[in-house]
Amino acid sequence: MLSYILRRILSTLPVMGIVALFVFSLLYIAPGDPAAVIAGDQASPADVERIRQGLGLDRPFLVQFGTWVWNILHGDLGTSIFTNMPVSAMIAQRVEPTLSLMAITLVLTILVAVPLGVAAAWKAGSWVDRTIMAFAVFAFSLPVFVVGYVLAYVFALQFEWLPVQGYTPFKSGVWPWLRNLILPALALGSVYIALIARITRASMLEVLQQDYVRTARAKGLGQRNILFVHALKNAAVPIVTVIGIGIALLIGGAVVTESVFAIPGLGRLTIDAILRRDYPVIQGIVLLFSFLYVLVNLMVDVTYTLVDPRIRY
Amino acid sequence: MVPVPPGLVIAPQLPDLLVPVAIRRGVLGFLRNHPTVAIGGALLLCLVLIGIFAPWLGTVDPTALAPAKRTRLPSADYWFGTDLLGRDIYSRVLYGARVSLTVGLSVAVLSSIAGLAIGLVSGFVRWADSILMRFMDGLMSIPPILLAVALMALTRASVGNVILAITIAEIPRVSRLVRSVVLSLREQPYVDAATASGTRTPMVILRHILPNTLAPMLVQATYICASAMIVESILSFIGAGTPPTIPSWGNIMAEGRALWQVKPYIVFFPAAFLSVTVLAVNLLGDGLRDALDPRMAKSL
Amino acid sequence: MDRRTVLKGLAGVGSLAATGGLSMPALSQGAAARTLKFVPQANLANFDPIWGTQYVVRNAAALVWDTLYGLDATLQPQRQMVESEEVSDDGLVWTFKLRSGLKFHDGEPVLSKDVVASLTRWSARDPMGLMLKAIQNELTAVDDRTFKWALKAPYPKMLLALGKNSTPIAFIMPERIAQTDPFKQIPEYIGSGPMKFAKSEWVPGAKAVFEKFADYTPRQEKASWLAGGKQMLVDRIEWVVIPDPATAAAALQNGEVDWWESPITDLVPSLKKNKNIEVDIADPLGNIGSFRMNHLHPPFNDVKVRRAVLTALSQEDYMRALVGDDTALWKPLPGFFTPDTPLYTEEGGEILKGKRDLAAAKKLLAESSYSGQPVTCVVAQDQPITKAQGDVTADLLKQMGMNVDFVATDWGTVGSRRAQKTPPGQGGWGMFHTWHAGADCVNPAVYNAVRGTGDKAWFGWPTSATVEKEVTAWFEAKNLDEEKAAVKRLNKAALEDVVYAPTGFFLSYTAWRKNVSGIAKGPLPFFWGVSKTA
Repeated sequence: MLSYILRRILSTLPVMGIVALFVFSLLYIAPGDPAAVIAGDQASPADVERIRQGLGLDRPFLVQFGTWVWNILHGDLGTSIFTNMPVSAMIAQRVEPTLSLMAITLVLTILVAVPLGVAAAWKAGSWVDRTIMAFAVFAFSLPVFVVGYVLAYVFALQFEWLPVQGYTPFKSGVWPWLRNLILPALALGSVYIALIARITRASMLEVLQQDYVRTARAKGLGQRNILFVHALKNAAVPIVTVIGIGIALLIGGAVVTESVFAIPGLGRLTIDAILRRDYPVIQGIVLLFSFLYVLVNLMVDVTYTLVDPRIRY
Repeated sequence: MVPVPPGLVIAPQLPDLLVPVAIRRGVLGFLRNHPTVAIGGALLLCLVLIGIFAPWLGTVDPTALAPAKRTRLPSADYWFGTDLLGRDIYSRVLYGARVSLTVGLSVAVLSSIAGLAIGLVSGFVRWADSILMRFMDGLMSIPPILLAVALMALTRASVGNVILAITIAEIPRVSRLVRSVVLSLREQPYVDAATASGTRTPMVILRHILPNTLAPMLVQATYICASAMIVESILSFIGAGTPPTIPSWGNIMAEGRALWQVKPYIVFFPAAFLSVTVLAVNLLGDGLRDALDPRMAKSL
Repeated sequence: MDRRTVLKGLAGVGSLAATGGLSMPALSQGAAARTLKFVPQANLANFDPIWGTQYVVRNAAALVWDTLYGLDATLQPQRQMVESEEVSDDGLVWTFKLRSGLKFHDGEPVLSKDVVASLTRWSARDPMGLMLKAIQNELTAVDDRTFKWALKAPYPKMLLALGKNSTPIAFIMPERIAQTDPFKQIPEYIGSGPMKFAKSEWVPGAKAVFEKFADYTPRQEKASWLAGGKQMLVDRIEWVVIPDPATAAAALQNGEVDWWESPITDLVPSLKKNKNIEVDIADPLGNIGSFRMNHLHPPFNDVKVRRAVLTALSQEDYMRALVGDDTALWKPLPGFFTPDTPLYTEEGGEILKGKRDLAAAKKLLAESSYSGQPVTCVVAQDQPITKAQGDVTADLLKQMGMNVDFVATDWGTVGSRRAQKTPPGQGGWGMFHTWHAGADCVNPAVYNAVRGTGDKAWFGWPTSATVEKEVTAWFEAKNLDEEKAAVKRLNKAALEDVVYAPTGFFLSYTAWRKNVSGIAKGPLPFFWGVSKTA
């Protein structure tokens, strides 16, 4: 198992290398000049050129790429053009909100979607099933920001139960931290919940048709026992797969959610950086995201072994 | 009735876990069997027709400005109200159907074709497989929104670029799907037999592989279409989507987002249309999937 | 631990959260009243006011660094860090004496050498500073509290240059920091002003924190804009960046923030209705919208085409698109200078007044050299002001019968594309939109956009010898009447040559919660004198 994990990690290096080259090239040929934005409205073209030189943006492509890769291998992700802070520091500041949001969303999603999917499968064909599936398809069809706005309006403005925006760090207390994340997690998770609920239902349906489930019923085992102990474990493989793929969805949705709820996370940082052409930040973050994605998929694969003993590496 | 010998206990009838289905035949029968396909297809058709016949459905020029009449509430003159520049929202929403549907359908078709090609090559040509799949992995690991924003920042905003950006983000999914079908089918005895009896690879692909990929690809394509429409709206929301001179649902929502508390109708109408369209496409996809092969539900 | 137990446990926590304790943990009243939460107009992405000249950087810097002079509400420079000044009879040597007791945030006293280094760095980037540098003999420290600036020619606007509020402001930094290359960012933020910058709490683009500097000695006079005594009545100021206006409005209504710098006008009615919120005009000097044309290439290299645009342009359309139905928020502007200021004039502005004549515009266009080339309009979508103007322009040009090539992009790209002098088809541009703070348009001193120096001018590169002549006349004017006369002639010439097309004058609001008091109108948000009750 350990050798499998090591092999997987090694094989991700070329993937990340490709991602890095791709992103770097994209930015290099992109129009838009951070030096111009920095120089501001009143600057002359000569000023802009001097700023560009000061930032090292006038060197040839391969030199810039080579320098960047060399620095990464030494743990230096570069320095932001705009804030003059190290990219790793900027990312470190913003990681906690985004990771918290994604973690809470994930937990919330699993807690809500899996039972819903199981219930729908158990009562397949009945009104319970139809309602749940209708809700799922509907939630799947709404854009994230619409859900976010509606939630904010109802729960934050009208009822004043929860705050409208912002983020409280974990070290200020668990409840304040959670308070700020509930609405964003619900908004972000709405699509995810729908997806997981559907997959769970489909997977459970297949499993429930199996003979061993019949046997369990014939033996007289209770419903809950059958559903959760026997059926769900066997249905889990596809569910876990979708959770893994969904991480990419989450990151994309996180961008919008962070914007609507003013959460100082990585999503917003990336969009701002892209629009401002803050190259080092963009490169650093995209690399980080691809690493995260690869890591999550690795964890998904490892989870398979826990859930399905037939799968061994 | 069979006479029961004394002392013999008949096992109780266990209720079936699945309700038996009445057999219906023909296209109409197919549609009645699978109401989700019917509903989804009908809704989608409605919206496509709305998009095509927009100029004749009581609309005005969707780009005609009238800043003196901005943000008017829905009324007899402006069925859905006016937006921040005084443009008629009803007209913009109907014309916007064209953009969203074009984006959705184009992305679905283009990514399916590209994904099919890559998946086939990957499945059949072993040495290309690992390189291509690594590349696809890399592409998949960049969140689609960010990829689209980055690509849009490269060039100007235009519908074509939006389609391109979302397509590139969706290709990996299709290619993986096709590749997995190819890999599993390649080992099948009948494919082996075909190759052994001299059938060339293109014919093998055409006769044996393609028909088996069609069903999952079709279902996958509907999901891609739905996802592309939502991504387009999110891109416009962030400001990196369709250019503002062309009305699209995402654009209308993006422009009205700041005012949703005071003039919710600006966001509401395009959001409603978008949701219904995506719903229709999803229903269609679900229905097709259940009709063609319910086992696909586990993986899509 | 089996699944069921875990699920039960989590359900328990969930119901607890749903029923009890959903209200915010109450901060102690005292602490809350000493912290002011402010939503700025834009992201604070970097913090060097000489290197990065965005308005939001200037506004934050005004808290952290002090200036030698400061403009007051009557647009006159008043002494701030300077105790007295002297100018020699021939106007060539300026000698200044600093106040005593001025300190930097690290405890060091403010000395002349710090001032000399700061002014040297500033004058490398500022338009008026560059003028001074060009005629400079020497800028030296005479002793710890005295420094002098010897020039080769008189410069009557010296105090204005040192005290103006248009960016970059002549902030005074410690010598070691001011010795950073003016084209690179400063590494630390030790200031001379009333608030310290809490660098460790800074999340660029999300939050910036300022803390009261206990050893700051404010002047005795009453505060007025950048002049007078900068008394801080709160201990801590948090700048919370909220990019989504609807979210910012909700946060203000909820009490999660105290002061919102620029609420969008469509949300103002609902803010006004809220009994906890006050709304007022932010800056009486407002802003001037700009339709900037490229004078180097067709079609706008032909003055007839430019004048055709002016003939058809409806400032009302542009202003309504920008600020909505509230007529108190905009004025038509038949000229280039800020209304309600001493030098305002409408001389030569008939072309922009009165009912719009599309037919006349089309006729002018037909007589010009325009032959159907596409007009490349480069419009930033992420700035509401440029986006709204761009939409109106696309419509206007279409109605005039011109061919529009609309390039919707972002502010960063506009910034770089507008610097290209190549023809529109090869990466150049035909027109772009921007706006100028009214405070920067009160006189020709820092008004780059109205200059006509051709290749050396601001983007668009207009050439107008008459405008330049009048600018020189203004600089040499001995009194207000001479200045006014020069500006009148300047205005007329600028309109005849159509240096750029002003799309109107507009104001914006600012909004704050009723428990905050002391907010004054001005070209930037002033935090001194602002206090908060619980």
